[in-house]
Amino acid sequence: MPAGVFKEKYEELMGLLRYPIHWAALAAGTALLLALPLLIGPYYTSLAVTLAVFTVGAIGLNMLTGLAGQISLAQGALMGVGAYATVFIAAALHTNIIAAILPAAILTALVSTLLGLPSFRLKGYYLAMASIAAQMILEYIFSVIDPDQYTPVPVDMKTLGPISLAQTTTQYYIILGCAAIAALAAANIGRSAIGRAMKAVRDNDVAAEIIGIDVARVKALAFALAGFFAGLAGGLYALTVTGIDWTAFTLDTSIEYLAMVLVGGPGRIVWGSLLGAMLIRTGWSMLEASLSDTLTMMGLGILASASKYIVLGALVAAFLVLEPEGLIGILRRVKEYLRLWPYSY
Amino acid sequence: MDALSLAVNTGFQALVLGMIYAALALGYNMVYRASKAINLAEPELVVFAAYIAFIAFSWYGLPVPVSFLASLAAGFLIGVVLERLLARPLRGRPVVALMAATLGAYYVLRGVSMVASRGFEMGSLGIPEVYQAVGPLRVSLSDVVAAGLSSATILAVIMLHRFTRLGVAMRAVSEDPFGATAYGLPVRRLTMLSWGIAGAVSAAAALALAVKAQVGPTLDFYALKALAASLLAGLDSIAGVVVGGLALGFIEQFGSLLLDPYMPGLGSQLAFIAMLIVLLVKPYGIFGTERIERV
Repeated sequence: MPAGVFKEKYEELMGLLRYPIHWAALAAGTALLLALPLLIGPYYTSLAVTLAVFTVGAIGLNMLTGLAGQISLAQGALMGVGAYATVFIAAALHTNIIAAILPAAILTALVSTLLGLPSFRLKGYYLAMASIAAQMILEYIFSVIDPDQYTPVPVDMKTLGPISLAQTTTQYYIILGCAAIAALAAANIGRSAIGRAMKAVRDNDVAAEIIGIDVARVKALAFALAGFFAGLAGGLYALTVTGIDWTAFTLDTSIEYLAMVLVGGPGRIVWGSLLGAMLIRTGWSMLEASLSDTLTMMGLGILASASKYIVLGALVAAFLVLEPEGLIGILRRVKEYLRLWPYSY
Repeated sequence: MDALSLAVNTGFQALVLGMIYAALALGYNMVYRASKAINLAEPELVVFAAYIAFIAFSWYGLPVPVSFLASLAAGFLIGVVLERLLARPLRGRPVVALMAATLGAYYVLRGVSMVASRGFEMGSLGIPEVYQAVGPLRVSLSDVVAAGLSSATILAVIMLHRFTRLGVAMRAVSEDPFGATAYGLPVRRLTMLSWGIAGAVSAAAALALAVKAQVGPTLDFYALKALAASLLAGLDSIAGVVVGGLALGFIEQFGSLLLDPYMPGLGSQLAFIAMLIVLLVKPYGIFGTERIERV
């Protein structure tokens, strides 16, 4: 009788749910997530909705940055492409938003591939340069098609058959479902042949080329995937708002996305992105909501808005220099420490 | 204005703006030569340096040359600090990491300049508005100062690289850091100096911009556009930035003249379109060395 859990097949070793504790965590997590809107009230539910939306976008960027080793500063604008495309497609075809999200995400993937096209054959930072140009050009296009900074998302589009999705709670369940599917897909892409090819390109592109990986194709694919997830996030975002304002998709949004990935944990596609989005997006808005009033009353209103930039920027730089694995790396060390406690190794 | 004077004046503006772009591009290229990465903190470094001059001039009442010097010193210092805090610990890691870290610095610098300028107060440096007509051309004092400042900066850096021992040492470090170490060159100090000079050059370009336009938080947009000039020249060229910057200036000015009646604001986006085209056609730029990879 073996003492412990032994894996005999490759499938068992590579499974997402390997140990009993994984199954228990899945059951408990699912139950918790389903019951969440009842437990935390409407304000925190809306925060959770935003968190889910931005996690999807961060997952896309994490595949590009963490797996393929490229940085992109266009994730915010691509999310905007997804949001606008969703609304316009839904309006043109007289369908609901949910039906329009998938075509919009595919369209976004095409746009991102097209804009990244010049840089796929080049090394290192060239994709970053192309993405900056893409971000600025897309911002300009948004400002042309949406000069009022308000493209309404009609309530009668926010339906799924007979169900209305105007309520935060119903939005929560729909978006949670979409985010869960997206996360599962991303996790599977990460551990499939495509994911391994991306990692090879990240670690040494010359060596990757030699073992027969088409580096340009893998980079293009990674950028397209990042675009697809950004488009998906944009579509889900359109579902949550009453009107789309393109100033939500500026260079700052892209930088925030990059910050989520780098602080959360590059390469840990799902959990790293979730942690990053939790800290950078949700954590920040909660902190801001509680602090900015006090600071403004003390006459330090500037500090309240400036501190966001200073703290975020310092976090990104500090994590890159001191903890390249991100928050998830810290968590893993804590977990190891607790597992081995009271021994040090 | 008739067509001739319109063309002449637009050409002159393109020249002035082109020299500013060239100086901004030189800031990117100096960093690229030293650390093989693009300093994405430069756009906000430009804003910060412009505000240092503005604060020194209009809040503390210092004379214009002194406030300019203060701004240059601040730029140099920020460059050195960025090298010490980011570029040095990230040596040997993928260049993408350093770029992302400078992006963090971009955010920090924006926050700092926001606080320092009491929420981005707008203002101008004390250059009087004086015009002089030369034939069909209308020249203002601020144009002359901006063009002179950026040209002088570029010229100084070119001279430094070409004619001094220090410049030769910096070239050696950029060409082959290991070889330079073997010859006993202080590679770390020279890299730091390169970043410092890049910061000071960016500050000089910021001053030129502040004289030409206005001190404000949107100056970072010019520095972002200058990335196109940098790419066009080739990221590791020094004198090439003049060609890249002027090309960008002319493309933007005449492009705006032709296109803006149909699509307002499209002219200022031409830089980014040019960037994508350069990446597609000639990614190493006109004067950049093409990288040949060995396995």
